[in-house]
Amino acid sequence: MKRIKYTRRNLLIAGGGAAALAALGAGARLLLRKRYAPSPYDDLISRLDDRDADAQIGETVLAEVDDFDPQATADDLRARLAKQPLAAALAEDAAQNRLLEAGGWVLPETLGLLCALAAKAAA
Amino acid sequence: MGAFIDARNVPSGTVLQTDLVIIGGGPAGISMAMALANTPLHVVLLESGGMTFDPKTQSLYEGSKVGAPYLTLEATRLRYLGGSSNHWGGWLRPMDQIDFEERTWMPYSGWPFGKKEIDRYFVKAQSLCEGGTLLYDKAVKYAANLGTVLPLGEGGVTTRWFQFSKMRNSMLPTHFGDRYADDLKRIGRLSVYLHANVLRLGLDASGAKIEEIDIATLNGRKFKVKPKAAVLAIGAVETARLLLASNDVMPTGVGNGHDLVGRFFADHPTPRDIATLVLFNGPMAPFYLGNQTVHGAIVRAGFFPSESFRRSRAVMASSVTVDGKADLDDLGKAAVAATAAALGVDASEAKAYTLGGGMEVTPDPDRRFTLDTETDALGMPRLKLHMRLADADFARFRQTLKELGRQLLESRAGLLKLNLRSRQEWYDALDWGNHHMGTTRMHVDPRQGVVDANLKVHGVANLFVAGSSVFPTYGAANPTINLLALALRLADHLKATLR
Repeated sequence: MKRIKYTRRNLLIAGGGAAALAALGAGARLLLRKRYAPSPYDDLISRLDDRDADAQIGETVLAEVDDFDPQATADDLRARLAKQPLAAALAEDAAQNRLLEAGGWVLPETLGLLCALAAKAAA
Repeated sequence: MGAFIDARNVPSGTVLQTDLVIIGGGPAGISMAMALANTPLHVVLLESGGMTFDPKTQSLYEGSKVGAPYLTLEATRLRYLGGSSNHWGGWLRPMDQIDFEERTWMPYSGWPFGKKEIDRYFVKAQSLCEGGTLLYDKAVKYAANLGTVLPLGEGGVTTRWFQFSKMRNSMLPTHFGDRYADDLKRIGRLSVYLHANVLRLGLDASGAKIEEIDIATLNGRKFKVKPKAAVLAIGAVETARLLLASNDVMPTGVGNGHDLVGRFFADHPTPRDIATLVLFNGPMAPFYLGNQTVHGAIVRAGFFPSESFRRSRAVMASSVTVDGKADLDDLGKAAVAATAAALGVDASEAKAYTLGGGMEVTPDPDRRFTLDTETDALGMPRLKLHMRLADADFARFRQTLKELGRQLLESRAGLLKLNLRSRQEWYDALDWGNHHMGTTRMHVDPRQGVVDANLKVHGVANLFVAGSSVFPTYGAANPTINLLALALRLADHLKATLR
């Protein structure tokens, strides 16, 4: 078996190859990353962790809510979340009995409405 | 020495004289007979069955039903000594004070007395049920080493505790017939007649007093008892049947001058998989999932609406138990992940459970028994059940469950899915407590109740009813220990009045 010589030339070639592979991987991730069309609610939806899962929840919220007005809802949520972090807003919802059902799941209203906006954005 | 007598060997035409006849050898009848043991009263206890199950005797229970779903009438109780304690689950819990109160949102509510009136009988009733140390909600103190009570914070639903009748060789709660047969035989002034079916409560000509009671056996014997007083302890279904069928003197039956006998029938719907509860931080304490022995008692925790929540939200009594682990679908997994993340809680160890419940129903005069045209092997009219269930009752129970969900969120402990909404979904999930109640409801006003506060049938001087048929409202507690407390109170009343 032929031994590889750790010459300066070989090390430069190996380092360059590794850098090229890393750049290719990063590029692939960017290329393969799911892209979402811009929506008027991205500032709100970005507060959630998993946009697809949240949209799935949101679809079930929308099935429960009559006359859902996304713009008014977004304005209301921005006002709520300007005052306090998301977790605090959810705790306040629970304390104030502001709840929504999503396929039977009892959710804080703020979370349910954010999910509903995610569903609207995905539509 | 008392005796067990096989009524099939009693010569036809025999007339027995006694101070008191107790009709029915279930928990109420047996407990009353034992409570009257050391009195001068001679007591005859009449039991339709023998010491074991017999299909021919059991078939005397058959009847028909129309309306909302319910069990077949012969399947929901047992007709031999010990009665339905021969197939009970042994669950024990006294009713709450609010269950006795008149509530504006609950029609026909209000007992003639408060819980304090029967509180002193629960110690003896607990002992008869072999329920161990009287702990109930004090069990939380002794169960602390087994796990943590779910932190629900302030709100309408709280953890409370059931107790259980003693398990024998890990299989049976107390079967009153087997358990107390020897005790009954030791009572000097008690005669227990087995296989003795009561066909008629014979009023005197005025209709104001029971004069004689007709008894028949499946082998054709017929005889009578002439008592000074009689107690019906045959369950809410048969009590209604016997009163309605005894219509030779009063055409509407005994105690039925105001058309109340057989009305207001109730049972506890016990639907399963009513909700899915997810805990973010790992498994529930074992006392939610099954029976645990602590401080001389078998206990299990459940979720109950507080009395203040029931008052403020106008909801019925209910109980919720954790029935086992549950699997989550994609939506459930998404809901758990999104909620936990938004609350800033780690849900990597989340566990899901399915919940079952027991719920009170609103008293309904049209949920009732009437006599059918069919007759049984002894010529007694069979019963027809007109079953009704109110959507509003399910909606109220759902409201309580939603409050549990709210509290889980507020305490950041987990979240809840409500699994049932439509009437059909509730019907599909239905099971029953086999807790028959209400058919001879108690009220001081004869126009509103069949029995008075002393459990005496209005208008009949010497006829009493022991059992949950007298409950005007039903709570969500298992009725056995509560009806025993009432029966023991009745025994005290009879001791004082039949001297």
